[in-house]
Amino acid sequence: MQASRLNILRGIFLRRLSGLIAAIVVTMIVFTTINGFFLTPLNLIGLLRSMSTFTIVAFGETLVLVSGEIDLSVGATYGLAAMSFGLLWMHGTPFVVALAAGLLVGVLIGLLNAWITTVVRVPSFITTLGMLSLVQGVTFLVSNSQSINPPSKLPGYGVFGALGGLEFPFGIPIQIAWLAAVAAIIGFVLHGTLFGFRLAAIGGNPQAARVAALPIRRYKLWVFAIAGACAALAGILDFSFIGSTTPSAGANLTFPVFAAVIIGGASLSGGRGTIVGTLIGAFFLSLLSNGLSLLGVGAFAQLIFVGLVTIGAVALDRWTTVWGGQTQSIQV
Amino acid sequence: MTSLQVRGVRKHYGETQALRGLSLDALAGEVLGIAGPNGAGKSTFVRILGGEETPDVGEILLDGVPWSVADRRRSVAIVHQEPQLFPNLTVTENLLLKSGRDGPFRPRATGRELQVLSELNLRRVADRPLESCSLVVWQLTEIGRALLRDARVFLFDEPNSALTDQESEQLFGHILRMKEQTNRIVIIVSHRLPELVRYCDRVAVVREGACGAILMGSSLTEEGLARELVVGQEAGASAAGKPGAPGTGPDDAVLLRLTGWTHRLRRFRDVEVDMRPGEILTIMGVEGSGARELLQSIAGLEPAHGIREVVGRRDAQAVDAFLAYVPADRRTGLFPNFSIAANLAARLGAPAVATWWGRLLTARLYAIGRQLMAQFQIKARSPGQPVGTLSGGNQQKVSVGSASAKKPRIVVIEEPTRGVDLGTKVEIYHQLRQFAHEGNAVLAFCTEVPEVFDLGQRVRVMSAGRLSGSFEVAAARNVQDLAGQLAKMTIPG
Repeated sequence: MQASRLNILRGIFLRRLSGLIAAIVVTMIVFTTINGFFLTPLNLIGLLRSMSTFTIVAFGETLVLVSGEIDLSVGATYGLAAMSFGLLWMHGTPFVVALAAGLLVGVLIGLLNAWITTVVRVPSFITTLGMLSLVQGVTFLVSNSQSINPPSKLPGYGVFGALGGLEFPFGIPIQIAWLAAVAAIIGFVLHGTLFGFRLAAIGGNPQAARVAALPIRRYKLWVFAIAGACAALAGILDFSFIGSTTPSAGANLTFPVFAAVIIGGASLSGGRGTIVGTLIGAFFLSLLSNGLSLLGVGAFAQLIFVGLVTIGAVALDRWTTVWGGQTQSIQV
Repeated sequence: MTSLQVRGVRKHYGETQALRGLSLDALAGEVLGIAGPNGAGKSTFVRILGGEETPDVGEILLDGVPWSVADRRRSVAIVHQEPQLFPNLTVTENLLLKSGRDGPFRPRATGRELQVLSELNLRRVADRPLESCSLVVWQLTEIGRALLRDARVFLFDEPNSALTDQESEQLFGHILRMKEQTNRIVIIVSHRLPELVRYCDRVAVVREGACGAILMGSSLTEEGLARELVVGQEAGASAAGKPGAPGTGPDDAVLLRLTGWTHRLRRFRDVEVDMRPGEILTIMGVEGSGARELLQSIAGLEPAHGIREVVGRRDAQAVDAFLAYVPADRRTGLFPNFSIAANLAARLGAPAVATWWGRLLTARLYAIGRQLMAQFQIKARSPGQPVGTLSGGNQQKVSVGSASAKKPRIVVIEEPTRGVDLGTKVEIYHQLRQFAHEGNAVLAFCTEVPEVFDLGQRVRVMSAGRLSGSFEVAAARNVQDLAGQLAKMTIPG
């Protein structure tokens, strides 16, 4: 039993991620030789902190992709959750209630996405593309297109500041702990539960899932709700860290979220994806931005470079799959 | 007068001999039918004739002159049941779309195209997008395209299996008119014996990669064809492996009862079925008879109304709990991203492979996988191997095994042994009989008589959505006798 489980892990590790890890090691060596500051604890901790919120969103997205759907609205959900939490709180709602309401906004958007996708049967690409614009519009409307900046005398401000800004001993930011906690929970849901097992089945072959009488609709409802909750949590954490939020917060989230998930090996056609993969994909992406900044590469050139790397990573993966001559099976 | 000669064509794929010296003659002015059981080499022949494949040995002559692959590709028109056309374009545009027509402007129908449109009675629908037209229009459009490129051979591959009766009349009307031209060869490949008898002048029966018999004139009857089709098909699995008559199980409850069961689109209607423990019922039917939809509707995958009682209950939960459906196509039954063990256990939940709160028990999942692999004799290195690395026969065993994993009382299975080798067939029949013997029931849809002979205790025939009375398979002396009996079975109403 132990042996078979080990084999599975090794299979995942070797087949899918070894190339990615090699790329990370090489990149790190290159950056370190050019700039000695790169490999210092200070820089690496900063790097992990900067990746933590978009990676939390990417974990939720991984579940959605494994189930064979897609959610393009997570960036907008991130923005609206932070904004609605902030507005409610600043207008006198108790802190805890406002916080819960902010998270609930994410869950509700997810449930709405799922309902339109599974009951009304609009493909999730279109549903969530529409939802992206819709939710962004709502955010601008409720905020009167103004940024909000909660005054520090507001009741509950201490907790608010700590949510995303607390520092543990040795200078470890709380965001890294959030990242680890969400990774552990979603990783367990995807890889250790019946839910995750069936989710991969539903995404791998929807027809066979129907034949096997799996609860497809209910599972997708959960998945979109979790993705919405993750986006909302990330939005609120960043709001706390920065101390303010803008109506357009989250608008630039779509690229890093999807790039991390895809580089990490999830398949857009469903049934495939791991939390470890997404984590490493996100790390690689942040590593590149961080290293390129240290090298003094301009922001625009960085965008070009990161775009190329994303395409290249997937292309490389395709080639190695063809060379390997076998289909990859990473679930259980 | 045009003639087509096929001389000693052989073709092998790996170790399988698909064609072992097939010879045929076809003349203009007649309709030649080709019949044969699945796997007899019909589709290989169709591909070779159409120039999609080259034979290992043998030649194809037109008017006595060897015919090159390139010529065949241009001059042989193969009309499939669902032609590969452009659904977003109109009928006329589909006719106009062909290689060799250059020029910067959007082409327009000229005299020739208009003539073909009238000839095929397509003028009325000429400007409608193909996707809004019925299937027979698709096929006529395909014929039109072939006429426009002056095809010499028209081969219809199961042309009417998806058509209504009226549409098929219409199609065959056109086919019969085509044979009046002296420079055209018309061939129909079909499973449907009535049409072959009614519209063909001669029917060649292809068996094991060669032409086994040619029926014509007074010997061309449905019963005669049915008997010829099963010659040499007595699989080793028949009576020898059958457990004794199971009779009534410990509980004499009805496991499955259908009353007035009717498809929403009336693919079948007023079906009555009654299955008891220990029973195997096969339903025989061709494509489009409604038998497939019937099986899928029982599993809740096709819309139907009427009364469906599963182990005495009429709710959908009873179907989930007691009934397992196995699709014909392995691709719709298996999860390609999963290992063998995961596929076998995919229909299970708590408590079999998970705790009450949903933690997956990987070790148990593997144990169940290993046990089912042993029971179904699935040959693989390990249960963790991706299911896609298995051979077709072993994949089919996984498909059947995953249905049996949840210990249902009724297995509903479409074409249990399509595209698998003899050894796997024997194994799957054995498993299904064993399952019935343990007090459960098997309802199978079969398209081939030998399968009915090997598997079934009772057989009923589905045609045009109606289910016939039942026939005891044991009453047939041999496969040929059974084939004859089934061909005679009449449909009520």
